Amino acid sequence: MELLIDNLAHGFSVALSLKNLSFALLGALIGTAIGVLPGIGPVATISLLLPITFGQEATTAIIMLAGIYYGAQYGGSTTAILLNLPGEVSSVVTTLEGYKMARNGRAGAALATAALGSFFAGSVATILVAASGPLLTQIALSFGPADYFSLMLLGLVIACVLAQGSILKAIGMVVVGVALGLVGTDVQTGQQRFTFGIPELSDGLGFAAIAMGMFGIAEIILNLERPEAREVLKTEVGKLWLTKDEFKRATPSVLRGTLLGSALGILPGGGASLAAFGAYMMERKMSRGRHMFGQGAIEGVAGPEAANNAAAQTSFIPLLTLGIPSNAVMALMVGALIIQGIQPGPRMVEAQPDLFWGLIASMWIGNVMLLVINLPMIGMWVKLLQVPYKYLYPAILVFCSIGVYSINNNVFDVYTTILFAVFGYMCSKLKMEPAPLLIGFVLGPMMEEHLRRAMLLSRGDWIVFLERPISATMLGIAAFALALMLLPNMRKSKDAAMAG
Amino acid sequence: MSKPTPRRAALSLAPVLALAGLATPALAQSWPSQPIRLVVPFAPGGTTDLIARLVATPLGESLGQPVVVENRPGAGATLGSLLVAHSPPDGHVLVLSSIASHAIAPALYSGVRYDALTDFTHVALLSLNPSVIVAHPRLGPTDMADLARRHREGARGLDMASSGAGSSNHLLIVRLGQLLGKELNHIPFRGAGPAMTAVIGGQVPLMSDSLPSAAAHIRQGSVRALATSGEMRHPAFPEVPTLREAGFDLVTSSWFGLSGPARLPAPVTERLSREVLAILARPELQARFAEFGGTPGTLDPVSFTQFVESELARWGPVVRESGAKPD
Repeated sequence: MELLIDNLAHGFSVALSLKNLSFALLGALIGTAIGVLPGIGPVATISLLLPITFGQEATTAIIMLAGIYYGAQYGGSTTAILLNLPGEVSSVVTTLEGYKMARNGRAGAALATAALGSFFAGSVATILVAASGPLLTQIALSFGPADYFSLMLLGLVIACVLAQGSILKAIGMVVVGVALGLVGTDVQTGQQRFTFGIPELSDGLGFAAIAMGMFGIAEIILNLERPEAREVLKTEVGKLWLTKDEFKRATPSVLRGTLLGSALGILPGGGASLAAFGAYMMERKMSRGRHMFGQGAIEGVAGPEAANNAAAQTSFIPLLTLGIPSNAVMALMVGALIIQGIQPGPRMVEAQPDLFWGLIASMWIGNVMLLVINLPMIGMWVKLLQVPYKYLYPAILVFCSIGVYSINNNVFDVYTTILFAVFGYMCSKLKMEPAPLLIGFVLGPMMEEHLRRAMLLSRGDWIVFLERPISATMLGIAAFALALMLLPNMRKSKDAAMAG
Repeated sequence: MSKPTPRRAALSLAPVLALAGLATPALAQSWPSQPIRLVVPFAPGGTTDLIARLVATPLGESLGQPVVVENRPGAGATLGSLLVAHSPPDGHVLVLSSIASHAIAPALYSGVRYDALTDFTHVALLSLNPSVIVAHPRLGPTDMADLARRHREGARGLDMASSGAGSSNHLLIVRLGQLLGKELNHIPFRGAGPAMTAVIGGQVPLMSDSLPSAAAHIRQGSVRALATSGEMRHPAFPEVPTLREAGFDLVTSSWFGLSGPARLPAPVTERLSREVLAILARPELQARFAEFGGTPGTLDPVSFTQFVESELARWGPVVRESGAKPD
């Protein structure tokens, strides 16, 4: 413990130099800016800025890149809440309650909850990374393909159980999502599936294109239909800060979200993308305000935002302890380090203590900076809602197009977005929710991959899913959740809760 | 490695060079007149991207115009390559060619809309990266002989991971299986990172990986290197035998090169080749390449073109035997 404090103190002494602090601030600012511009994600930005880091010291470079990463997470929630535009997997969930809150005039409270919840979760997760990174790595490594499959299956089952409205429609959307997720090159055989000879489809459909089309742009089309809503989203911005009651409701959600997010973030096989979904589902089932879900429940913003940020921090663990990047942003950071002649991995703690502890300290400093940047800006963001639609909508469309294009530098993704905007509009006319579709889209292909890998390793023996304790536990919970869904009286009380 | 006769390749190149030489001497004088785009058909951050960036910066300095790396990933590196095949051959658009896009993909995908030889001017081989067979330090075999014994004796054969179906590492597993007389159970992953995680975690005992991506894990001792696939032992890992030394007649390396659209003016090709070879010969670059397990290339445009030709001829049949299903 004392050693940990010494190390952290050393880290802070590195991170608090004027130069490193200013680069942390710069990174956080850039990150927030790109997070707010829909679609321009951290991957595109970091790859653009990568050459700039070559001239810097390694510690400074990585501190700036980490700042961009967190900043983008924060910024992404802003557009999700204000404009129903999720740019990343994690902010899909934030749109569900956050955008409803914004329509109810509680945009300020939603933004403040997101910022405070993320800050708290980020702080806790940073300490976790510092204190028990190597231990957590061992846990993460013990997850085999069968365990991942059962975890993802559990995620999908819960997605159906807790969907709003018709369960049948929710299952339908999950299945459509899984089908869309299977487009592209089959990982096991290299076979092209559902690509119709279009080379751009061989890597699958883009998440950002689908999410932005089905959420943000479909929402624009819907709003254009309503003459009364055509001017501005909300003339009254409402109180900017949380009320005392809201604060009390959000606190336990943040705590639960932090726990779940920290745990899932360490799993490199797609754990982090489950964090926000999982937290949303948990809040919907457990929180005091569960009857308000679907109408703008603050718990539905607080839990997922905390989980998302905690997972963003703990997903550094595989990178720092094994040298294995757990997502595209991390892969870019590895690239930046290798260019500097530093190989991330278990020996980095001893070989590069400045870098290792400096980075950990700067994670926390970055979170403080984001709070400082974001809280005063809430008033400004909320004013965005008063911009008349005739200016706001064209601007959103332009930024979405730029953002989607920048992911692969390919116009194809822009066409995909348009197509899914039309599809999303049709879905909302039919009262089919896009969220279960996106959950299916993200989890479906991962589930298939892990399932088939588990079967390859077991030579086709299904018992492997029950033999492994982690897998068996997950399957047990999934079966229990399914049983609850099928029991008629349970159904009734669920529908009653929904109606109330 | 099969080597085509120099004469044949020279003949096949002659008309291209002659045409290019005639084309636009004036253009070559002013080249480069604007920043050069280097299309990298892979996602940023990986080995390929690193090699491109390590070369791009000094190349820009030598040429007096910046060389800007542009990542265009997708479809087994064929999307970015196609883009360059269709670009004007003025020397301002180049591509990082590789074994993936220019030797394997043409055999693997029927939808590849370029010819790896006639649609490109191959300028220089940048890097040859041998593959390496790595094992879990406790659960995996201790050396290649142990691997062969366990594979033949075990009822189920051994599992071996790779970065993906149809990758050069997968093809190595196929060839190795043929030499062992019994197919290895190939476990494909989505990229080298997840596959390496599974090996370190003991989910899969063995993996075939490119040396640059495995180098750090070998040095850290989180995996054990059994054999490399180069002609000779790699200078950075002198204690690891080659596959051939271990009794497997298998020499293979993944490679990255610099290519442009077909009919690049000859003076441009010559200048590019000269500058790139000079950069690759620099001690600091040699050191960086050695550190991450690559070998800088030394081929001129003619011999690099021959090399691409021989690689195409070599990998086609292996792809067809590999069971990686073309579309």
